[in-house]
Amino acid sequence: MADRILGLLALALAITMAWMAQSYQAEFSYEPVGPRAFPLLLAAVLAVAGMWLAVRPGRAADATVWRPAPALLMVMAAMVVFALLFQTLGFVLATTLMALPVGRSFGGRPLPSLAAGVGLGLGLYFLFDKLFDVILPTGVLAFILGGR
Amino acid sequence: MGDTLQHLGEGFGVALAPINLLLGLIGSFIGTVVGMLPGLGPINGVAILMPLAFALKLPPESALILLTAVYIGCEFGGRISSILINVPGDAGAIMTAVDGYPMAVKGQAGVALSISAWSSFIGSFVAFIGIVLAAPLLARWALAFGPAEYFALMCFAFACITGLMGDAPMKAVLAAVLGLALSTVGLDSNSGVYRFTAGSVHLSDGIQFVVVVIGLFSVSEVLLMLEQHLVQAPPIRAIGRNLFNRAEMALTWWGTVRSSVLGFVVGVLPGAGATIASAMAYTMEKRLCDTEGTFGKGDIRGVAAPEAANNASANGSFVPMLTLGVPGSGTTAVMVGALSLYNITPGPALFTQQPTLVWGLIASMAVCNVLLLIMNIPMIGLFTRMLALPNWILVPGILAISAVGVYAIHATTFDLVLMVVLGIVGYLLRKAGVPMAPLILGFVLGDMMEQNLRRALSITNGELGILWESPISIGLWVGVATMLLLPPVYRRLSRRRAAAAAA
Repeated sequence: MADRILGLLALALAITMAWMAQSYQAEFSYEPVGPRAFPLLLAAVLAVAGMWLAVRPGRAADATVWRPAPALLMVMAAMVVFALLFQTLGFVLATTLMALPVGRSFGGRPLPSLAAGVGLGLGLYFLFDKLFDVILPTGVLAFILGGR
Repeated sequence: MGDTLQHLGEGFGVALAPINLLLGLIGSFIGTVVGMLPGLGPINGVAILMPLAFALKLPPESALILLTAVYIGCEFGGRISSILINVPGDAGAIMTAVDGYPMAVKGQAGVALSISAWSSFIGSFVAFIGIVLAAPLLARWALAFGPAEYFALMCFAFACITGLMGDAPMKAVLAAVLGLALSTVGLDSNSGVYRFTAGSVHLSDGIQFVVVVIGLFSVSEVLLMLEQHLVQAPPIRAIGRNLFNRAEMALTWWGTVRSSVLGFVVGVLPGAGATIASAMAYTMEKRLCDTEGTFGKGDIRGVAAPEAANNASANGSFVPMLTLGVPGSGTTAVMVGALSLYNITPGPALFTQQPTLVWGLIASMAVCNVLLLIMNIPMIGLFTRMLALPNWILVPGILAISAVGVYAIHATTFDLVLMVVLGIVGYLLRKAGVPMAPLILGFVLGDMMEQNLRRALSITNGELGILWESPISIGLWVGVATMLLLPPVYRRLSRRRAAAAAA
């Protein structure tokens, strides 16, 4: 079943790509192949691969069933929030906030997970920002960390 | 030849400069640890360190030496967890677990660990000789390549990776096309047309290489690790005798050399990687030596052969990357991306334009190998203790460092969100059995492939014939056909033979 879904999704993507690529036309051009040909070629190959998978799915892959485990959704959500708040909250706080749910999902107890987050946040901040000069956002902690 | 030796001498001068030696040492250590940790492989290690090396403003040769050390170190480290906990540290070490873990169960973990370090060293050493001999020749030959030949060569790379992928060639094709499609996002420099940007300014420059690699490999890996973190074999406590003896070395010697040569050849094929090399070497040794049916039950020859091939192939995959600009493995594809951060395009011209960079890199492979052997035999106890690092510290650490790497390039939230989205998509694709190596190869080669196709067709004003006109391109197209047709034919034949044997 998984293969059939994958194949159909690939086919849908191929159609979308082909539809978007239709309009890619150079104003004037010195070369016979414009910006449209390569994407269209890719869409065609993708469509063939997708149809192949939809019609002839592999037997082995069908045995795997995808179960949306709560822990999985939790880690995904934590990563999205981490990315969105990275700049606003600053590296140290965002990392702390991410490490708690992620650490919990990987079997850590609440307090140690939180401590790991604080340790990672501060440790990596000083390592990269102060020692290696890789500028990281300080966010709301700018007044303590000396914001830029 | 004298020319080569002189360049190699200069290369050793670069590789042995104090800063580069230190970076090689650090990289080798990090590589061994990353390779050993289940789930993290060379691509993750190199992908995470690449933006950091760039952000630290390392000069290009130093950055490359660091990344090379990490890559080779990973191939050394992957075997440790294969042997000790039956979980391969990286894909190239899968075959090592087959006999390595049974050896450990029998109380021979120390022997398995030391002989595999030794055969890894031999594998890399054979590959190093191969590179020194083959690379300059290939680079000189590659200067004759025009756009049509390059286009055929890249098709050959994709044929290698999909044909040798084994169980799911269609999924490998799918992955390669997805990678190629990702590479077309952004401004088309030839015509000024924005493609697949959906009007977003963040996408007008195209998708950042670092974002794709870290998303597809590190972030998706975290999700896969979450699924697996409950199912792990109990770790082996007793290591037993620490070092292999002379009889064991003699027993494995020819298998190690054979596998090294095989691994190097597979590594040089653009697209095919260490996973395929180690599987082929194991099968070959089993066929040649397994007269008593001990393979799979802890035969020391089954540990040495795949490790030698694995490392020879990893080193060998630098040959097409340096000489043709077409990476030989997923990890070297990432390194091409690293070079592009420095505005360096690998290819035959690199040997004449930047000889110190190329030869410094090649020499550092030899240096790192010696460092790794020294590190991997006496310090094995230290590494095995690191396997105890709990995932609830490790995983937030991976995510935080990945974010630092992505943020260091452009400092935008958009890239971070894209990283996570690509991570989730990558996870779902990997769950569906879609391999990631062809995808990353497609992403790296996409622009080059399209440009060469367009350039070739410009020469003839759209006449397709130019693509298969020269002897080189005809040869490459024959190679494409062989790579695509041989595996299914071979599989069918061996199935028929098995059926005949059963009847």
